[in-house]
Amino acid sequence: MSPLPWSGLGLGWRAEISGLVSMLPGLQFSEVIAESLRGGAPPPALAILRERGVTVIPHGISLSLGGAEPVARKRVAHLAACAQRLRSPLVSEHIAFVRAGGMEAGHLLPVPRSREALDVLVRNVRQAQHLLPVPLALEPIAALFDWPDDELSEADFLAELLWRTDAWLLLDIANIYANAVNRGSDPMELLEKLPLERVAYVHVAGGAEHDGLYHDTHTHATSPAVLQLLAELCARHRPRAIMLERDGAYPPAAELYAELDLIADAARLTRITT
Amino acid sequence: MTPVAGDLAARQAALVTALVGGGELPDGFDHTRVAAARRALLVKRAGDVTKAWPLLATSLGDAWPECFITWAASHPPRCAQRDGKNFIRQCCPRLARFRSGHRRWFGLP
Repeated sequence: MSPLPWSGLGLGWRAEISGLVSMLPGLQFSEVIAESLRGGAPPPALAILRERGVTVIPHGISLSLGGAEPVARKRVAHLAACAQRLRSPLVSEHIAFVRAGGMEAGHLLPVPRSREALDVLVRNVRQAQHLLPVPLALEPIAALFDWPDDELSEADFLAELLWRTDAWLLLDIANIYANAVNRGSDPMELLEKLPLERVAYVHVAGGAEHDGLYHDTHTHATSPAVLQLLAELCARHRPRAIMLERDGAYPPAAELYAELDLIADAARLTRITT
Repeated sequence: MTPVAGDLAARQAALVTALVGGGELPDGFDHTRVAAARRALLVKRAGDVTKAWPLLATSLGDAWPECFITWAASHPPRCAQRDGKNFIRQCCPRLARFRSGHRRWFGLP
C-alpha cells in the first residue's frame, strides 16, 4: 500500500497556476518541482496551501539517478530540505540521467536497460535514500529513443530496481502510453507485468503527435487514449492517488477543471472541482 | 555496437555530446528518433528562456523561438538565465545596444 495517508486526485503546483490550484475545493495533495524552491522553502502561496492541510510532494528533476557519476550530495540535501520544509510523506525523482561528462542535457534522458546501468541506478538510489528523511518514489520516463543494446525488458528492469532498492513506483500513465506508441508495443502488456502494489501515486499528462512520434509535452490536454489507459489501470489496480501535471500553455480555469473532472471520472475518484 | 563492461560513463557522455554538444551519434542509435529528441530538447530550452526572459521572446515576435533554436543548436545549454544573455549578445545587436539598466527594466537579458 502506498505511503500516502489518503487517496484522491491532485494537480501539480506551478507558480503560473498557483491561484487555480489553491481554488480547488477538494484538493488533498499536490506536487512541486523541488528545483523551483530556493533552499527548499515554499513560496507564500504554496505555504498557505500547506497550512490548509494539503499534502505537497517535492518532485526532483536533476538528481540524475541513472548517471554513471555518483549522485551529488548537495542535490539530495536540497530534496531532503524540501521534504522537511513541506513536511512531505514522500519525495519523487526519475529513472533517468540528465548530465554526463560535465555537460547538462537539459532534460531527462533514458538509461540503457543493461545490468551495468541497473547496478549504477541501485547504487545511486540507495545513496539518495540514505540521505533522505522520507521514502523515495521513482518515475519511469517517456523516451523518444531507446539504447541499442538493452539486455532487460522494461518490466524486468523496473521490478528488479524496485525490489533491490525498496523504492516506491511513481507510475506516469502518459509515459507508459508514450513509450508504447513510440515502440509500437501494447501498454497494457507492460502494466500487467509491473509491480502495481508498489505504486505510490500516478501521474497523468497531455501530449501531442509530431511526425508519427508521441511527445509527452505536458502542454496539451490529456488525450482520450491516455484517459482510457488510466481507466484500464484503475480497473485492474486502482492507485491511491493520481495527479495531473501541466507545465505550460496553461488553459483557462474552466478548461483545466473540466480536464480534472474527466480524469476523476476515468479513475472513478471523487471530483475535486466542486 | 558491442557493449564493453564498465563503460557506461563514457557512453552516456557520448550520447549527451551528440544531443547537445554537436558530437557524432554513437553507433546503433536510431538517427531519426535521436534527431527528434534533439529538437525536443531545443524547444524545451527555448521555453525555459522564455520563462526566464519573457520580454526577449515578445521583442522578437514571430522570429521566436526558431531564431533561438537555430543559435542554441550550436551552443551547449547553460542555465536559462545565461542562455538568454549569450543569445542576445551574439544574435540581437539592436537589443544588446540598450544600456544594461534599461534592459533590466524591460526584463531583457
